[in-house]
Amino acid sequence: MTQAHEEQLMGIRQAVLDGDMDNIQALVSSALAEGLEPETILSGSLTPAMAIVGDDYERGERFVPEMLVAAETMKLALKILQPLLKEDGVPPAGVVVIGTIEGDLHDIGKDLVAMMLEGAGFRVINLGIDVSASTFVQAVQEHQADIIAMSALLTTTMVNMQGVIEALQEASLRDTVRIIVGGAPLSSDFAESIGADGYAADAASAVRLAKTLLGK
Amino acid sequence: MNPLQDWINKLGHLPVAPLIGYPGARLTGTTLRENLFDAGTHANSLRAIGSRWHPDILLPMMDLSVEAAALGLSVRFPDNESPTVEEHPVRDSADLDRFGAADIVADPRLQSFLSTILELADRAETPLGAYVVGPFTLTGLLMGANEAAIATIRNPDLVHAVLQFSTRVSRAYTHACVEAGADLIVILEPTAVLLSPVAFSEFSGQYVQSIASDCSAISVLHICGDTTALLDAMCETGVHGLSLDSVVDFGVAIKNVPQSIVLIGNVDPVRVMGAADPSVVTTAVRDLLKAMKGHRNFILSTGCDLPLDTPPENIDKLIHTARDPRV
Repeated sequence: MTQAHEEQLMGIRQAVLDGDMDNIQALVSSALAEGLEPETILSGSLTPAMAIVGDDYERGERFVPEMLVAAETMKLALKILQPLLKEDGVPPAGVVVIGTIEGDLHDIGKDLVAMMLEGAGFRVINLGIDVSASTFVQAVQEHQADIIAMSALLTTTMVNMQGVIEALQEASLRDTVRIIVGGAPLSSDFAESIGADGYAADAASAVRLAKTLLGK
Repeated sequence: MNPLQDWINKLGHLPVAPLIGYPGARLTGTTLRENLFDAGTHANSLRAIGSRWHPDILLPMMDLSVEAAALGLSVRFPDNESPTVEEHPVRDSADLDRFGAADIVADPRLQSFLSTILELADRAETPLGAYVVGPFTLTGLLMGANEAAIATIRNPDLVHAVLQFSTRVSRAYTHACVEAGADLIVILEPTAVLLSPVAFSEFSGQYVQSIASDCSAISVLHICGDTTALLDAMCETGVHGLSLDSVVDFGVAIKNVPQSIVLIGNVDPVRVMGAADPSVVTTAVRDLLKAMKGHRNFILSTGCDLPLDTPPENIDKLIHTARDPRV
């Protein structure tokens, strides 16, 4: 890789870290015009930037607003890159269907996890909030998902996660997907008790968990 | 100086005031929804809490949607779950105009909360609390929490405009609660847990201060989640007490908070009170008492509102253990 390319990758990485939503797309476009591959920009700029963002958050050096702005910046870059990656036939790190469980309308944590997974090269189908068991099951079938990620902020709604797992069993899909759960009132004990494959306390650990479960 | 501290001193023993609201509905065989709409039902449930547990402060059911609903935002009311605000319509400061003439205190459901206070204040021997939504949290309901968080960086002027509006709403409701007879106002500011300490002071703290300094009753600031990094900034708001969640290490926090501010908390409302055996409650309360031994600026409570289906025996156990002179 030429030094100019290296500098461009660094520039894009820094723009994500700085949350520079105004300039990121111009930087990505010019990097592509200079001959950088979309996959190189993803793995050389976006993924490491989001990993740093996640680590900073875990260490208490970056807070949710800064993390959200970095993630939004990354998404603007992905908007350009994703169609090109598809054209090039670059396979995603995995396919994740994500949503907040039925009855629950909270989305910040879930959206952060979705964005971090995208930054790590996963294809993410974000079903939004208040997602029913049947919607999860349909999405798994339709997108041939490798992972379901479910979120809940309320003790009253987290119990609905079990219903999704039961619906997957009924549809004979349980063995085709890994199930990860998260949200403030949850714990790894709870994840185990409902038969999920793992619990993640925050967005960075959700990415690690997803990679581990898929053997990456 | 601090009226909450004065009250503790006069009480002569450790105050025990868990955030029991919803479990009162189970005592009266009513749904949450019935309590959140009808003052008579709500007051009965709180009386039932008073009769069974004799908390040192009587608190209502926690409902973060009252002010937003009074402003006309659409709210979902399940029978037995917390209400949730379903729309977050504010995108620019002109959107605030649609609320310009709203007299939130005239709203029927907000009136039912005031009537509940009024009914209980008449005959209250214990201090009576009321909840009002905090400025950044109401801003998050108006704009969407995600959008409000991003706008603290991308469009701080808009956030301040919405915060100024939210603060006016909170001050008006606070006044009405105090007038109805509330002795203590708990400002619920959970969404501010997202902010850095610097951003907290700018986007929440200064506005909380404005509500607290304007309030003639005792003021308490409640924020859920891990507020360890925000403690200093929370102390600067001038509130009399901080109600903190179970993830905060009270043994550490009490050393970092000035003695003039009362710490309120923080038995785990979900994993311990809601889900564990009474013996676990005993251990949790004893551990907390041990950590707080010798500190007079402390009220034993739960880290947040107790879930509806908290086993009543667990609340019995918390109260009993906290009041046991042998501990």
